[in-house]
Amino acid sequence: MTVYNLYIFDRNGTCLHYSEWNRKKQAGISKDEEFKLMYGMLFSIRSFVSKMSPLDMKDGFLAFQTSKYKLHYYETPTGLKIVMNTDLGVPNCREILHQIYSTLFVEYVVKNPLCSMNEPIQSELFCTKLDGFIRSLPFFSARAG
Amino acid sequence: VAGLAVFNRKMSVIHFFLKENGRCITRLENMGFRVGQGLIERFTKDTARFKDELDVMKFICKDFWTSVFKKQIDNLRTNHQGIYVLQDNKFRLLTQMSAGKQYLEHAPRYLAFTCGMVRGGLSNLGVKSIVTAEVSVMPACKVKFGFLQKLK
Repeated sequence: MTVYNLYIFDRNGTCLHYSEWNRKKQAGISKDEEFKLMYGMLFSIRSFVSKMSPLDMKDGFLAFQTSKYKLHYYETPTGLKIVMNTDLGVPNCREILHQIYSTLFVEYVVKNPLCSMNEPIQSELFCTKLDGFIRSLPFFSARAG
Repeated sequence: VAGLAVFNRKMSVIHFFLKENGRCITRLENMGFRVGQGLIERFTKDTARFKDELDVMKFICKDFWTSVFKKQIDNLRTNHQGIYVLQDNKFRLLTQMSAGKQYLEHAPRYLAFTCGMVRGGLSNLGVKSIVTAEVSVMPACKVKFGFLQKLK
């Protein structure tokens, strides 16, 4: 079981952070294009999901899965979007993505006056803490399962 | 007592001012001075008078620092000739910034207010001092006090 990679976008679509752990295959396009593609897809899928929902929806889009991986999504009330790709054995990650927001992003980015919001995150402390957090997850294993 | 949330807002204010005007370190230190004066009055309103310099320093390093930052200092050294160095290895205003050398050049600005605060506290206890701070590895900081006169 493992985590492949993680993206953080702000509400304008800027990719604030990207980390990868066991990604075996790249997208074949530049990182900028990849971020735009990811953000564009999320934007469309959220709109699609809420339009086509047969019932009144509470949380909206949460995750999708393919035969090989699962994409987990979490959006804060301020429009920050956290996307995490894991393998299929991983259950619902909403709580974990929320923790990434409240204990890592808020602590080490929002509370750091030298980190400007809406720009890619430069703080090494944030990167280190995020890496440590992901590696300590019960379903993370350094060798992709 | 100024809570940590207030300090975090002050951090953003500090950052904003410094983009406009480099002489802000003095202004911040002076703001801290006034706050320190007020805080020490509140903290010592029920305490007996201090016997000597060492007593004053113990109060600043234990009660005062702990009330403001909700944690104890890690070390206090003196040369017994009026110079004291207080060490806090996890200074509360720096812990969210960096755990090493990143942003080191910006750290002194975030210590100006605290230096003023301690200088203000000491001032109202009757001690004129010079207070400076030094950061070599975040989030540890050393606050250096030089007493300019003997406690009366």
